Amino acid sequence: MPAETGLDPVIHGPARLRVMVTLATLRDGDNLSFTRLQELLGLTPGNLITHLRKLEDAGYVTTVKSGHGVNARTSVSLSHVGRKALDNYTAVLRQLLDSASTDGTSPHPGEAI
Amino acid sequence: MLEDQDMSVREAAAVVQDARARARKELVISAPLVYAAWGLVWLIGYGAMWLSVRGQHPYRGPSGLSIAAVFVLAGFAAAAVLVIASKAVAGIDGQSVRYRRIILATWATGYLILLIVQAAISGSVSTRTLAFVGFAGPLLLAGLTYILASALGRNWPAFALGGWLVLVAAACAWLAPGTMVAACALAGGGAFLLMSVIETGLRAHAR
Repeated sequence: MPAETGLDPVIHGPARLRVMVTLATLRDGDNLSFTRLQELLGLTPGNLITHLRKLEDAGYVTTVKSGHGVNARTSVSLSHVGRKALDNYTAVLRQLLDSASTDGTSPHPGEAI
Repeated sequence: MLEDQDMSVREAAAVVQDARARARKELVISAPLVYAAWGLVWLIGYGAMWLSVRGQHPYRGPSGLSIAAVFVLAGFAAAAVLVIASKAVAGIDGQSVRYRRIILATWATGYLILLIVQAAISGSVSTRTLAFVGFAGPLLLAGLTYILASALGRNWPAFALGGWLVLVAAACAWLAPGTMVAACALAGGGAFLLMSVIETGLRAHAR
C-alpha cells in the first residue's frame, strides 16, 4: 500500500501523478489553462475536475477562475507545498527502485501498491 | 490507465518518466530549433555579406542582394521561432510569460535603435565605424539579450552563449570590415549552431 511504502497516496494515482508532473514542468509563478492541461492528459473535463479537487484539497494545486462568458478561463498551478510533495514522492520512488535493483528483486512483485 | 487506480512502483516510475517527457516536449520552447534557426541566419546571411565584400579595395560595403538575403532569412527565422514558441506556451500564463515579453520588447527596441543610429551616422563616420554598428551591433544586442534571458531560468548555456557573442562583438572593434563580417558569420553563427547541438545533447541526457 502507498502508506507502507512512504509514497504519498494523494499523488499515487496515474492521473493525479500525471497532473503533478505536468504542472511541475512550469516555472514558479506560472499557471496552465484547464483546457490545455486536459488536452495534454487526454482526460474528460469531469475526470480532471475530480482529480484536481483531490489535489487542491491537499493543498498541492491551486485553481483560479477569471473572466466571464467566452473569456472565462480556469488556470491551474502547482503550489510550493505541491512541488515539495512531488519532489518527496519521486525521491521515495527512486529509493524503492534502487533498493529493489540492489536486492535483485522486483519491488513488491505482483502487488499493486 | 488514467483512472484513479492502484499501480506498482515500476508503473509509477514509468508514468513520471512518460509525463515528464511529454510535458517537456509540449510545454517547453525547443531551444535547439531556436538556436539552429538563428545560427543559420548568421552563418548563411552574414556569410553571403562576407562573400560580397571579400576582395573589395577600398571597402564599399555589402551588396544590396546580400543585405536583402539577411532580412529575408531573419524574417523566416523569426516566423519559425514565433510558431514554435506560440505552440509551446499556449495556455501558459504568469511571471515567465511577462518576463519573456519584456525581453522580446527590449531586443526589438534595441534593434530598431541600432537601425536608426546606422541611418543617422551613415554619411558622417568612417566605413569601419559604420560596419561595426551594422555587423557587430546586432551581435552585441543578441548577446546581451541572451545574458538577460538566462537570468529567467538560471540557464547557464544561454548565459555562456550571450557572453561569447558579446566577446565576439567587442573583438570586432579591432577588425577590418571584411574580417568583421566573417567573424560575425563564423564565430556568431557557429556559436548558435554549436549551442543547438549542446542543447540537444543536454535534453537527451535529461530524459
